[in-house]
Amino acid sequence: MDIMNSSIPWNLIMPIIVLQLILAVVALVSLYKAEATRGPKWLWVIIILCVNILGSVAYFVFGRKDAS
Amino acid sequence: MRQFLLFFRKEMLEMGRSYKWLWVPIVFLILGIMQPVVTRFLPEIIESAGNMPEGMTITMEIPTGTEVMAQTLSQYNSVGLMILVLSIMTMISGERQSGVSQMIFAKPVSFVSYVAAKWASMLSLVTVSFVLGYAGAWYYTVQMIGSVETGAAIKAGLLYLLWLWFAGSLTLLLSSLLNSAAGIAFVSLAVVILLSIASQWLPSFTAYSPGSLPQISMQWLQASDKSTSALGAVILCLICIMFFFMIAVYQVKIKKSKF
Repeated sequence: MDIMNSSIPWNLIMPIIVLQLILAVVALVSLYKAEATRGPKWLWVIIILCVNILGSVAYFVFGRKDAS
Repeated sequence: MRQFLLFFRKEMLEMGRSYKWLWVPIVFLILGIMQPVVTRFLPEIIESAGNMPEGMTITMEIPTGTEVMAQTLSQYNSVGLMILVLSIMTMISGERQSGVSQMIFAKPVSFVSYVAAKWASMLSLVTVSFVLGYAGAWYYTVQMIGSVETGAAIKAGLLYLLWLWFAGSLTLLLSSLLNSAAGIAFVSLAVVILLSIASQWLPSFTAYSPGSLPQISMQWLQASDKSTSALGAVILCLICIMFFFMIAVYQVKIKKSKF
């Protein structure tokens, strides 16, 4: 693995990965707590986990049924 | 004033509950950081993607710091605008459809403070998200690419923020006019994109159009010596925002008496 040895500043790349993780985790937690969503829950799990940033965004925008 | 603060607090609470205060800033931050990182590692990325004939070498000019900042702004002008519109499109229409606004207007509340609270909370969400993302882009550009001229970057950032305010105000106006979320998102994105394309193709006709703001802010970043004046566009943009606000108040008033 020469990609590990090359001069990539991991301390600068790490925040991107961490931010994406936060986004996905919050989306999953919100999905778990939600009583009802638009569309089946298992589908949203797949979308959040597989479609990088926009998956979580799509869930927040389209998936949540606001219980207000 | 008391009513405004009450509504404002309710809007902020609601934005927090629907996780908007979390995901919109994070997405803007990721968008901002991505651009300098991708630019810096583009040669490595292309190399590791393979499919390159043996012996072929790519020479690529690493762009300057200000160029990367301008690219970040153009990134915000596509994905960022979409995220922005999607996050605020149902702020007025959603409450109308769920019946919350009828409940609110059963009491003698002022329409102006109701709409103004929505406006203020939208503007604060947009401002916080953009400032965070822009600062992230700036930090990463300085770390990975090169120096950025401080004065030009701040001026361009403020000008671009005004453009985002315009887009947000337009979305809220449409949210007061239309019911369907898809229609609101489509119309406001279409108008914003058309305005911005028109100012690229017909710069002489659209010198004062708000759509020229992103263009001018990118120019300010790249060539700060021969700066284009943005005064006309800025004034017209502020007038538009106020105008949108007044129409929205009027619409909320009309739609209320229909039910």
